[in-house]
Amino acid sequence: MSRVWKVVRIQLVNAPTVLGIPLLVLAIAFLTNLAVFGVIGDAAEPHGRITGGLMSVYITLLVSYIMTMTQVFTFALGLSVTRRTFYAATSLLIVAQAIGYGILLYLMLLLERATGGWGMELKFFAIPFMVNDNPLLQLVIYTVPFLFLSFIGVYIGIVYKRWGQPGVYTLTIGTAAVAAILGIVATWQQWWPAIGGFFADQSPMSLFAGYPFVLAVILAGLGFLTLRRATP
Amino acid sequence: MTAVRMHNVTKRYGNFTALDDVSISLEDNRIHGLLGRNGAGKTTIMSILTGQGFQTSGTVEVFGEAPYENDHTLRKVCFIKESQKYPDNFTPRHAFAAARLLYPGWDQPFADQLIAEFALPLKRRIKKLSRGQLSAIGVIIGLAARAPLTFFDEPYLGLDAVARQVFYDRLLADYAENPRTIVLSTHLIDEVSDLIEHVVLIDQGKVLLDEDSDLLRSRAVTVTGPVSAVEEFAKGHRELHREQLGGFLRVTLENVHTGQSPNGLEFEPVSLQELVVRTTQQAAGGRELVGATNGNGEKS
Repeated sequence: MSRVWKVVRIQLVNAPTVLGIPLLVLAIAFLTNLAVFGVIGDAAEPHGRITGGLMSVYITLLVSYIMTMTQVFTFALGLSVTRRTFYAATSLLIVAQAIGYGILLYLMLLLERATGGWGMELKFFAIPFMVNDNPLLQLVIYTVPFLFLSFIGVYIGIVYKRWGQPGVYTLTIGTAAVAAILGIVATWQQWWPAIGGFFADQSPMSLFAGYPFVLAVILAGLGFLTLRRATP
Repeated sequence: MTAVRMHNVTKRYGNFTALDDVSISLEDNRIHGLLGRNGAGKTTIMSILTGQGFQTSGTVEVFGEAPYENDHTLRKVCFIKESQKYPDNFTPRHAFAAARLLYPGWDQPFADQLIAEFALPLKRRIKKLSRGQLSAIGVIIGLAARAPLTFFDEPYLGLDAVARQVFYDRLLADYAENPRTIVLSTHLIDEVSDLIEHVVLIDQGKVLLDEDSDLLRSRAVTVTGPVSAVEEFAKGHRELHREQLGGFLRVTLENVHTGQSPNGLEFEPVSLQELVVRTTQQAAGGRELVGATNGNGEKS
C-alpha cells in the first residue's frame, strides 16, 4: 500500500464524520426547503419555487478542508508524513469526494424530476442556470465547484499554517480590496453592462465547470508551493 | 553507525538565534538525553531532524540522508512532542489507527498492553482527555511504533509518578528487546539518569556538553573539607560550583583524579542533574563575565 493511500485512509479514519457531515448539512437544507415550500404552498408561483439551499453542501466542504489543513496536516506531519505525500493524498480525496458528491447530486436531480419537484414543483437540485441536458456535462457542472471550493479551503488552511492569523487576514482583506478596486474601476469606466453581457453569454458549462476548474488547478499548484515551507 | 548528524546548524527566527552553529552526532541503538533549559533549542533541533522545521544554514543527516520531505527516511522516524495536536473529532482509537498505518514496525499487542496500563479511554474525544491522558497517547505511539529513531520531547507532561515509572520501565524493557535509537528530551533528569547513555546539553542554542553519561559522571566530583585544604586541592581544576559554610568549603570540580586525594578531604560523586545544572550555570556566569569585561576592559 503506497504512502499516499495510507494518508488517504488516515483522513478517512473517521469516515462517517468526514463524509457524512456535508451530507447531513445537505439533508437539513433540503428538508427545511421541503417544509418551507410545503407550508407556503401556492403562495409561491410554480416557476418561482427555486432555492439556493444546494450551496450549503459546497460551503461545508470549503470549511471542512480548512480544517483538514489546520488539524489533520499538523497531526500527520507529527507522524512523519511528508508535506508532498499529505498534499497528494488530500488532492486525491478532494477529487474523489467531488465526483462522489457530483454523482449523488445528479441522482437526486433525476429523482427530483421524476417526482415532479417532490410533488410541489420545487427546484432544489435543478437550479435553472445549472442544468444541462447531457448527463455527463450535468455531472461535471455539479462536480467542478466542489473541487474549486475544496481547494479554496485547502489554500486558506495552508496560508494559516504558513503565516498564521495575520496571513489569513492579509489574504481575505487583500482579496476583498482587489475586488473592491475592480468594482470601482468597473463603475468608473462603465464596464458593468459589458461584464453583465459577458456572464450572460457564458454557458453554464463554462461558468460552473470551465473557469472554476482552471482556478482550482491554479489554487492547487499555488497551495503546494506555499505548503513546502509551512510548519505543522 | 551514526543515526543522526547535524553539522554547523544555525536557526534564526528574525533577530533571534535559536540554534548557533550546532554540530552533534548521535550513535544508533543508544538512548540519548537531549537536555537543557526551556527555550534552549531542544525542540528546534528535533523538529529540524524530523523535517518539520528548517535550518537557516548547515547540514542535517538522518540515517545518512537529508530528512526534509524524505519519505524513505521519515518512515523510520517517530517524533513524540509534548505539543502534538490531534484533529478535534479524533478519539485515541483514531490516533492509534493512523500510527498503525504509518509505522512499519507497529506492535498492536504491545499498544493494547500499554493502553490498559495507562487506563486510556479509547472512545472519548481527545479534546476531552486530561493532560496526562493526552501525554499517554504520545507515549504509547512512541513505544509501539518501534521506529528505528524515536524522539520523545517531554512526553510525561501531566503523567503522575506511577505512570512515568511505567513509561521508563516499558521503554527500557522494550529497548533491550528491540534495540533502536531513542532521544529523550526532558527536565526530569534525575528520573532518567539511569536510562540515558549519552548526554547532549544545549543552552541558548549552543552545545555545552556532548558526552557519554558514564564519562560525564566520573568527570566531576564534589570536594568538601577545611577551606585552606580545599582551596589548595582545587588549584588547577575547573570549578563548577562553590558553597562555603563556616570553615568548611564545598566545591564541584572537573577532571579530578581521585587517586591523588590528600587526607582530610571528602569526595562525592556528582549526579547527572547536578552536573547539568552546574554546567549550565557556569555557562551563564561566563556570559555575564564577558559582558562585564566589555564594559571596563578588565575582569571584575
